[in-house]
Amino acid sequence: MAGNKGRGRAAYTFNIEAVGFSRGEKLPDVVLKPPPVFPDTDYKPVPLKTGEGEDYMLALKQELRETMKRMPYFIEPPEEKQDIERYSKRCMKVYKEEWIPDWRRFPREMMPRKKCKKAGPKSKKEKATGQGTALTSTADVLKKIEELEKRGDGEKSDEENEEREGSKEKGKDGDDEDDEEAAEQEYDEEEQEEENDYINSYFDNGDDFGVDSDDNMDEATY
Amino acid sequence: MKRKLYYIFLFFLALRLPRTMTQAEIKLCSLLLQEHFGEIVEKIGVHLIRTGSQPLRVIVHDTGTSPDQVKKALCVLIQHNLVIYQVHKRGVVEYEAQCSHMLRMLRYPRYIYTTKTLYSDTGELIVEELLLNGKMTMSAVVKKVADRLTETMEDGKTMDYAEVSNTFVRLADTHFVQRCPVVPATEDSDSGPPPPAPTLVINEKDMYVVPKLNLIGKGKRRRSSDEDAAGEPKAKRPKQSTDNKEPIPDDGIYWQANLDRFHQHFRDQAIVSAVANRMDQTSSEIVRTMLRMSEITTPSSAPFTQPLSSNEIFRSLPVGYNISKQVLDQYLTLLADDPLEFVGKSGDSGGGMYVINLHKALASLATATLESVVQERFGSRCARIFRLVLQKKHLEQKQVEDFAMIPAKEAKDMLYKMLSENFISLQEIPKTPDHAPSRTFYLYTVNVLSAARMLLHRCYKSIANLIERRQFETKENKRLLEKSQRVEAIIASMQATGAEAAQLQEIEEMITAPERQQLETLKRNVNKLDASEIQVDETIFLLESYIESTMKRP
Repeated sequence: MAGNKGRGRAAYTFNIEAVGFSRGEKLPDVVLKPPPVFPDTDYKPVPLKTGEGEDYMLALKQELRETMKRMPYFIEPPEEKQDIERYSKRCMKVYKEEWIPDWRRFPREMMPRKKCKKAGPKSKKEKATGQGTALTSTADVLKKIEELEKRGDGEKSDEENEEREGSKEKGKDGDDEDDEEAAEQEYDEEEQEEENDYINSYFDNGDDFGVDSDDNMDEATY
Repeated sequence: MKRKLYYIFLFFLALRLPRTMTQAEIKLCSLLLQEHFGEIVEKIGVHLIRTGSQPLRVIVHDTGTSPDQVKKALCVLIQHNLVIYQVHKRGVVEYEAQCSHMLRMLRYPRYIYTTKTLYSDTGELIVEELLLNGKMTMSAVVKKVADRLTETMEDGKTMDYAEVSNTFVRLADTHFVQRCPVVPATEDSDSGPPPPAPTLVINEKDMYVVPKLNLIGKGKRRRSSDEDAAGEPKAKRPKQSTDNKEPIPDDGIYWQANLDRFHQHFRDQAIVSAVANRMDQTSSEIVRTMLRMSEITTPSSAPFTQPLSSNEIFRSLPVGYNISKQVLDQYLTLLADDPLEFVGKSGDSGGGMYVINLHKALASLATATLESVVQERFGSRCARIFRLVLQKKHLEQKQVEDFAMIPAKEAKDMLYKMLSENFISLQEIPKTPDHAPSRTFYLYTVNVLSAARMLLHRCYKSIANLIERRQFETKENKRLLEKSQRVEAIIASMQATGAEAAQLQEIEEMITAPERQQLETLKRNVNKLDASEIQVDETIFLLESYIESTMKRP
């Protein structure tokens, strides 16, 4: 390009003096590592402000820190299970007041879901009807038939059906909910079984009579 | 690189999108949330800051926390105005973090102390309760504060609810506390399923209206029997003590601390003390009077106050001040002529109309902060160069050396140091279209706004470092701290049951002399770190106010 002073001669396009050093001057070494983490500073910081206000604010700050830890808003992380439960831990536990939010001001999904059984069937029924047609899969149908065989009690099986359907719906929502529902399902079944005072195998409908051979008549019956 | 960040920031601002937070701010928010609300709330809060607006399902999934925990955390955050919710299409509720509100938690001690200076202990406790609980009803605040004050009083004396109510009303009248938006009263309860989340509204006029309550009662002292319940389940007691049978008269009307009003107060304080430092006590009193007169009439983000006539100012001066009208006029003229331009003259009617230039005042304060930082970090000669470039706006290298009367080599060194730390920037002015370096002017200039942003960012980093160091120091000495607490508890209980001095001595000696020394050192260090945090927050306030004032300009 025009301005080249000659072949192969290096030339700067600007006045090198302006940058601060002249040609050929020894420049500082190339830096090969990051700067030190805590370098010495030439100028030390100015001392902190002191006074009544500052002292009060300091005390207030430390007090607030302690107070916040005791408030119900401070959510303790779930403690890992310790091998031996220490007596001292139980003594030093700080009992916190429970905070109940004003639910009118919060989104409805924030409310903790009720797990009690009484509310269960009602809400599930709502869901079941609200969701529209129930899901039918082969597993469902088989279970239905099983249940109908076991009971003969139409009411209860319907209820259980709806619960299953409802819980199947809910089961789609989240994995954690499945556990809840599974637990509830199991619980329901147990309760159902317990409601009967009669042992299932008690009723003998006579089908077995005569099936056993009469050959063993050696032993007398008393 | 940092300048690019600022330009991106400004771009987002122009689009009115929620600001992307810098790493330093996110780190600081994380530390604050952890200290105040625990790790779980911190996890959810920081996640929301990073990702922006999200619905509940996604939060649960992305953070891997149980839904119960997430709900609890969100409730705490919403209660304290750190997260807001919005109903989107198809009934999905989304939650968004308010990072700037989280940073305000640093300033809680200052808010509380300021209220103490203005409204004494009663006011102080009212604001403290409101800040600690996010929002409360007036009746709940009054009861709590009365109880707390009664604790501190001599035996037999109690604090009356009426006195606390009066202070509350005064706080509301001066706008230091305000009403929260309310759930709108649903006229038609059959209009379909309730919305997934209420839309809270507030009418400007109602914001400071105190409900007509007839709160009669006195504060209750916490009985000593309650304190013995170390092993008993105390959780039951609070529920029993609250009277669930009595209807709450102001149910649904919640109050919160009005932080903007406090900020206005701090700003006024800063301006008054700046005038006092620069001129004299009387001028600062005049400025204080003018600011007080404009408190309620001028919105806090206005560039200058409403014009005030000299006659009005004369009438509103505090009772103790006996200066004549002529002297006041002289002072006002002096203030208006001052190059800092805190006060401006806007007309001649009424003996002269004067305004306080709020934006200019904030800019001056921010600039003074920058100058002070340069002086303390780089030395007074650097500071001289910095002030020179500020004054002259744009200077060439040669001009800097000449005007500052500093040898060329040193001047260059200082300029480059400040340049590398982004206090000073280079402005290129090409003479020819090809931008050839030999034919381009390179001018040094100070861009106050971008330097202020840079400094603010450094302040956030500083506070994060201070908090981390304090936590580290406390953790290092955890065992010793716990031991000392146990010993103190033992001594306190022994004193209560009347132990001899010799026994107490014995217990005290459980902590050896070197351990005592260690505890002393720890206490000194923690105090220093805490005090530093408070002081850095003052700088943050000034810089944030200045930056905010530049953004709201129409």
